Amino acid sequence: MITQVENPILEIHDLTVSYDQNPVLWNVDLSLPGGKLVGILGPNGAGKSTLIKAIMGLIAPTSGYVKVFDKPLNEVRSRISYVPQRESVDWNFPASVLDVVMMGTYGKLGLFRRPGKKEKDIALKSLEQVGMSGFVKRQISELSGGQQQRVFIARALAQEADLYLMDEPFAGVDMSTETAIFQLLQEMTAAGKTVIVVHHDIHSAMNFFDWLIMLNLHLVASGPKELVMNEELLRKTYGGKLNLLTRVTDMIRQKDFNPLKS
Amino acid sequence: MTFDSNAFLIIFTGSLIAISCGFLGVFMMLRKMSMTGDAISHAVLPGIVIGYFVSGSQRSLEVIIGAGLLGILATLMIDWLRKKARVQLDASIGITFTLLFAIGIILINLLAYKVDLDQECVLYGEIAYLPIDSWITKSGLNLGPRITWLAGLNFFFVIGFIYLLFKELVLTSFDENFSSVMGIPSKGVNLALMSIVSYTTVSSFESVGAILVVALLVVPPATAFLWTKSLIPLLKLTAAIGISISVLGYYLAYWIDSSIAGMMVTVAGAFFGISVLIHGKKPAWFRGTSPANQPFGV
Repeated sequence: MITQVENPILEIHDLTVSYDQNPVLWNVDLSLPGGKLVGILGPNGAGKSTLIKAIMGLIAPTSGYVKVFDKPLNEVRSRISYVPQRESVDWNFPASVLDVVMMGTYGKLGLFRRPGKKEKDIALKSLEQVGMSGFVKRQISELSGGQQQRVFIARALAQEADLYLMDEPFAGVDMSTETAIFQLLQEMTAAGKTVIVVHHDIHSAMNFFDWLIMLNLHLVASGPKELVMNEELLRKTYGGKLNLLTRVTDMIRQKDFNPLKS
Repeated sequence: MTFDSNAFLIIFTGSLIAISCGFLGVFMMLRKMSMTGDAISHAVLPGIVIGYFVSGSQRSLEVIIGAGLLGILATLMIDWLRKKARVQLDASIGITFTLLFAIGIILINLLAYKVDLDQECVLYGEIAYLPIDSWITKSGLNLGPRITWLAGLNFFFVIGFIYLLFKELVLTSFDENFSSVMGIPSKGVNLALMSIVSYTTVSSFESVGAILVVALLVVPPATAFLWTKSLIPLLKLTAAIGISISVLGYYLAYWIDSSIAGMMVTVAGAFFGISVLIHGKKPAWFRGTSPANQPFGV
């Protein structure tokens, strides 16, 4: 169940990625429309993070290619932003919240130039958007997990990109914050930006995403939520994890989730 | 106390070297690469020998270029072993610098009849001889101690490098992947940093030696990091520690008549030890409480 689109904002062609000769992603071939909130779903080890790292060129693919905005990656880097997993950096780093968010503006600044008033204003605005205005001067080592995550999202916002790739941005974030960030992401997509989120909570995925990519080493599905959110594809994605699946299907039934109605 | 120009020159040079090493050391520490500095300081030996062999002088540009190239080679080797051969970082550092240092020793022995050089020249330096080694131009003009000039030049390179690449250094130290995604060449920044570390190490050999230069790269930044958690104060404090250990190191060495560089590093170690003790004992009320978290308005 793979829906290909005309004029894709992101085109992945026959992508295979391997670590030490072991392929972790096989023949992923998909295209995404612009202005959508896209979720990547799949069990642990399905290659979700690997897929977005390959999109950004952090991992060299064994075969296949990625085109963003119909151009090779290196020509459009300043239009792509990334929210890495929180654990990927050392939060003992001597920097304030504002310092980290300002880093988002460095790509557009270019070599040798220093951030000034304009960059600071962008950073402050981004912090406001994620509700962290009260923490501007705080050292990042003194933040909670959810706050760190929001700082990372603010840093991505400060980049003013067109395509955002987020690796589990909701890990360790409480429910109200998650909802607020989802609302923020929906505002961004309404403004024409594309946001791709690696996500593991099927429940909230049903509520918020426009488009879903289901992954389990192979690409299981890629398409509008209404078309791909069904028991068969979920079963294919999550394999034999029946316990989980029964719960999900129960949930679908309870919520009277009818894709055709919405 | 009368003004002792020799003492001043030695302390001044020591401070320049300590600050240069300390500033670079701050970034090495933030990248968790402090021991890469150790590796580089030993791995440059073959480069020095080859440079010496080519130019016939211990103080030529070839020596510095050779050392710089070997420093970069060591960095690349460590990186390659870690990423491609999947060796742990500490093991790949251990393999790389011992191998290159061993090659250096073999080269010294092979070329022994042509080269007036041994491992000792590289491993130990002596800053006390600095006033008697003057830079005299062909016309006979005495410009002052050669090592002070070298340290000063190096100091300006380091300051210029950090000033120009400050935001790139900070970003790639904090989050390498993010900087690559944005198109900031993190590998290039890393190699530039390693080259300047190699150059600093080589230019500090004659005064403090390869072993003690590592201490200057590691100890002052680590001490400063115990006291502050923001970057600019961290750099300032590192510089202040660099100057203090030069002053104290000189007078203590003078007092017990021992090696100045050795005493500088001992003082640095003492500073670190005292900082750890004081910091561990600092009561909670001294640090204050953090302000109440603001709820996230939905």
